[in-house]
Amino acid sequence: MKKIWNISLAVALFVGGVYVYADEDEREHARPMQSKPLSKQDQSAAALYKKECSACHMAYQPEFLPKRSWDKTMKGLDNHFGTDATMDLADTSTVQNYLMTYASKNERITDMKGAVALRISQTPHFVREHREVTKKMITQPAVKSIANCNACHTKAEAGSYREREINIPNHGRWE
Amino acid sequence: MKYLSVLLMLSMSLMGASPEVEQYMKELLSAAKAENKSFTGFDAARGKEIFISTHIGKQGKPMSCTTCHTVNLGNSGKNSLTGKVIEPLSPRVNPQRLTRVKEVKKWLKRNFVDVYAREGTAQEKGDVLTYIQKN
Repeated sequence: MKKIWNISLAVALFVGGVYVYADEDEREHARPMQSKPLSKQDQSAAALYKKECSACHMAYQPEFLPKRSWDKTMKGLDNHFGTDATMDLADTSTVQNYLMTYASKNERITDMKGAVALRISQTPHFVREHREVTKKMITQPAVKSIANCNACHTKAEAGSYREREINIPNHGRWE
Repeated sequence: MKYLSVLLMLSMSLMGASPEVEQYMKELLSAAKAENKSFTGFDAARGKEIFISTHIGKQGKPMSCTTCHTVNLGNSGKNSLTGKVIEPLSPRVNPQRLTRVKEVKKWLKRNFVDVYAREGTAQEKGDVLTYIQKN
């Protein structure tokens, strides 16, 4: 029963797509939520993606990187930021297809002028949005790394990054 | 039916591994015998040594299984790179452990590579599973 709940929760998180807000001016930066419900196949792929990736870190929404980045990531799982993150062939291919389907198509967010970003934190939109975040906020034990979205973005795992949802440990809300 | 599955779960947790994992360990046993003629059986003490000893891992730095899993298998651990909490390895504390061969194979492969910079032998895998099973 618990398993079914986990899967449906994972699906619910992914059906929504991603909400990214830069400033309180929500209209400028909001990207539309996906209105189309996921197919059965995509739902189980989303659940697999969530389970496999979040074993070690937050399962970042596919919309944060372009196809070329996910492709490179999936081909290098034997050395994934210094660790072996390989899966069996069937699961690798399911996750790969899922990422290809939902990867960002927005070059404004992901354009690296020819370079292929492996880290979301290297992409220009991300860099711009986090330019005022201090090193101390990131390296403190409660956050540990810029890769831990959910340390500050309290609804990151559900794909929501609204400014009013930010709560930086030992600092507070983002004003 | 419900009682039956509860009973099944209970007996599984008493064995420390599910039937499919037990089967996998039998396969490891035959493979270990084929690798080493003098091999007589898996040993939890050797498994513990594999688990707690420090090696130069994939990243070229000293590491052991306990770096993330801690020395007490009944405790939660923490991914040393991301900080993500790792549920206890002990099947006694965490009944999900050692139930799916697919998971067991995946993590044995990954974690041997991360800590030992190579895959484990059949004997090493069996030893470390025996250690986890008994703790």
